[in-house]
Amino acid sequence: MTQPDIILKAEDIHKSFGNVEVLKGITLEARNHDVISILGSSGSGKSTFLRCLNFLETPSSGKVTVHGEEILVKNGRPQNARHIEAIRARLGMVFQQFNLWTHRTVLENVMEGPIQVKREARAEARERAETLLKRVGLEDRMQMYPAQLSGGQQQRVAIARALAMEPDAILFDEPTSALDPELVGEVLKVMQDLAAEGRTMIVVTHEMGFAREVSSEVVFLHEGRIAEQGPPEEMFTNPKTEEFRRFIAKAM
Amino acid sequence: MNPLEVLAQYWPRLLDGTLMTIKLTLLGALIAALVSPAFALIRVHASPRAQAPLRLYVSFMRGTPILAQLFLIFYGSGQFRPFLQEWGLWAFFRDPFNCALLAFALNSTAYQTEILRGGILGVPRGEIEAAKAIGMSRIRSLSRVVFPHAYRIAWPALGNEVILLMKASALASVVTVFDVMGRTRQIFSKTFDFSVYLWAALIYLCITAVFVLLWRQAERRLSRHIDARHKTQSTGQHFKDTRA
Amino acid sequence: MFELFSYGDAGWGDEILRGLAITVQLAIATLPVGLFLGFLAAFASMSRLLPLRFLGVGYTTIMRGLPEILTLFVVYNGAGLVLNAAVQWWAPDASPTDFSPFAAGVVALGMVFGAFAGEVLRGAFQSLDMGQAEAGRAIGMTGRQIFLRIQLPQVWRFALPGLGNLWINMLKDTALVSVIALDDLMRMTKVAVGVTKQPFTFYLLACLIYWAMCVLSELVLAQMERRANRGIRRA
Repeated sequence: MTQPDIILKAEDIHKSFGNVEVLKGITLEARNHDVISILGSSGSGKSTFLRCLNFLETPSSGKVTVHGEEILVKNGRPQNARHIEAIRARLGMVFQQFNLWTHRTVLENVMEGPIQVKREARAEARERAETLLKRVGLEDRMQMYPAQLSGGQQQRVAIARALAMEPDAILFDEPTSALDPELVGEVLKVMQDLAAEGRTMIVVTHEMGFAREVSSEVVFLHEGRIAEQGPPEEMFTNPKTEEFRRFIAKAM
Repeated sequence: MNPLEVLAQYWPRLLDGTLMTIKLTLLGALIAALVSPAFALIRVHASPRAQAPLRLYVSFMRGTPILAQLFLIFYGSGQFRPFLQEWGLWAFFRDPFNCALLAFALNSTAYQTEILRGGILGVPRGEIEAAKAIGMSRIRSLSRVVFPHAYRIAWPALGNEVILLMKASALASVVTVFDVMGRTRQIFSKTFDFSVYLWAALIYLCITAVFVLLWRQAERRLSRHIDARHKTQSTGQHFKDTRA
Repeated sequence: MFELFSYGDAGWGDEILRGLAITVQLAIATLPVGLFLGFLAAFASMSRLLPLRFLGVGYTTIMRGLPEILTLFVVYNGAGLVLNAAVQWWAPDASPTDFSPFAAGVVALGMVFGAFAGEVLRGAFQSLDMGQAEAGRAIGMTGRQIFLRIQLPQVWRFALPGLGNLWINMLKDTALVSVIALDDLMRMTKVAVGVTKQPFTFYLLACLIYWAMCVLSELVLAQMERRANRGIRRA
């Protein structure tokens, strides 16, 4: 068994697309209240790694454990695939392109998971959805359709949708990359609040400020491997590898 | 006779024919609508080899005249009469209505399958991923995300298909089903009054017009999320449609 | 079983081929009529004159809402009436003439094709790049030159897929003329069925022939589209 406060553990994750090996054995642990920022230049495999954690991408091999549920993958085949949906229900995910269901209202988007997956009563799901939407500052947009919202508002709905499942951890896949610069702040603000609340978060991002100020741990991926890993202050003030030094030099 | 006299004398038959046309069209479209979702899924997801029979079926249905399909079923079944009698199916195939319905349902299934396939392919991948990420099973994601969305995309094309089917249903008159066309030919052969054809044309146009209105009304309800884009953001709960 | 389809007195091969020839003739004769009506309808419905626009839009809307077989009957019976009335008026002593089923087929299918083609062509004209017409005006081309040299060649490209579909639909619709006693493929099949009492075999054969024609048409159309799109899309 894993230690009780380890929420998510990925061990030796490999992933190849055809002949190209994108992930070359990545191991990562997230404890309760951790906020892990995953950095890396494009093509470093960071998004692929994140998507392997909830099996939107099936790893070629490796092991993912979420809250004691363990899925082992060998030769691209998960050994107990039945647990995948259970793992996904425990991990929230926020996408770069929001991926709201455009045919449902904001409120319905947030209620859908609890009702359909967790089999909650409608009233209960609705109440929590309303609370969450209020928290992300969208109480006056609940009956609208996603197409009526700005990108930043849509992303906040997507965060509320992830929270509605009461996940053990939330995965963020470049949540601000598709936003106009002036809308980035409102989303980062919500994420910062979540971190302050003690939510466990794994964030693939380009936002150096967020990685530095908010996260408890930074992971730098380079060519499918973890090149450097540690607390943000230490890493940013004193980068150990040449790759990370160059990466922050370019980003700053 | 002047046209109004023709109508005054024969309107019960024309009304009867109208109901038959509607019945034939709606039943045919409905049967096809029940079968086509499964077929469409096969067309989207199955391996090329597995969907080969389905593609052949669709190609055949689209590449041959409906009249020929109707004759193949109605007259063609006669060639297998002893066999069909043995299985108790002869009574079914002897009835022209059944044969017409079967032919139209088979034909419409092919078209609806392809339309729905296009709809499914049009659902944004990200929305399906979001459903997966939240832990929905495959079936649930199909019923809650993929199909609702696919139908909204396919809706106008499906409406067109129903209208095409309605027009094709006039062919049933050739195998003695008394739909609008059948009644019209019957009346014409009695009276040789040309105006009955004009009344028939009017009936078909009315059926089409009413159907188009109803279908658009439904489309409006279904695509609030698309219309919504054109609204100001502050109007809140109640949307009125602004599209023509 | 193959002697059924053989050529000559014993089999039905020659009769069915004769029917096929009529079907193909009918389709080929209808195409120019339909295209002509289609262009007329497209121009009328894009016209600046309200009555003309009304006429164009009315024709395409009504025609597309009517069952093809009804159109065929209206033309066959109606045109016969009109023709006879005209003949009577011209020469009261003449014996009543019949409108030939072939001509009725060409007119009716042409009218149907024209209505749908009108919509296809209108859409194609409207998707033309207006900047190119402007460029033509800028170098001093007349409206006529712009139409013939710039717009028409490009309309073809936009309209081809739609018109191709209409051709295939029309090819299938030719089967309807068997109902007004034109000896096309469908009717010759029916004759063969009447004698041989093998309805399934022969109707299946007819279906396969139509199918082959449609698949062949699709192949040719795909080829034409590739040609029409030269220089637009790269392979």
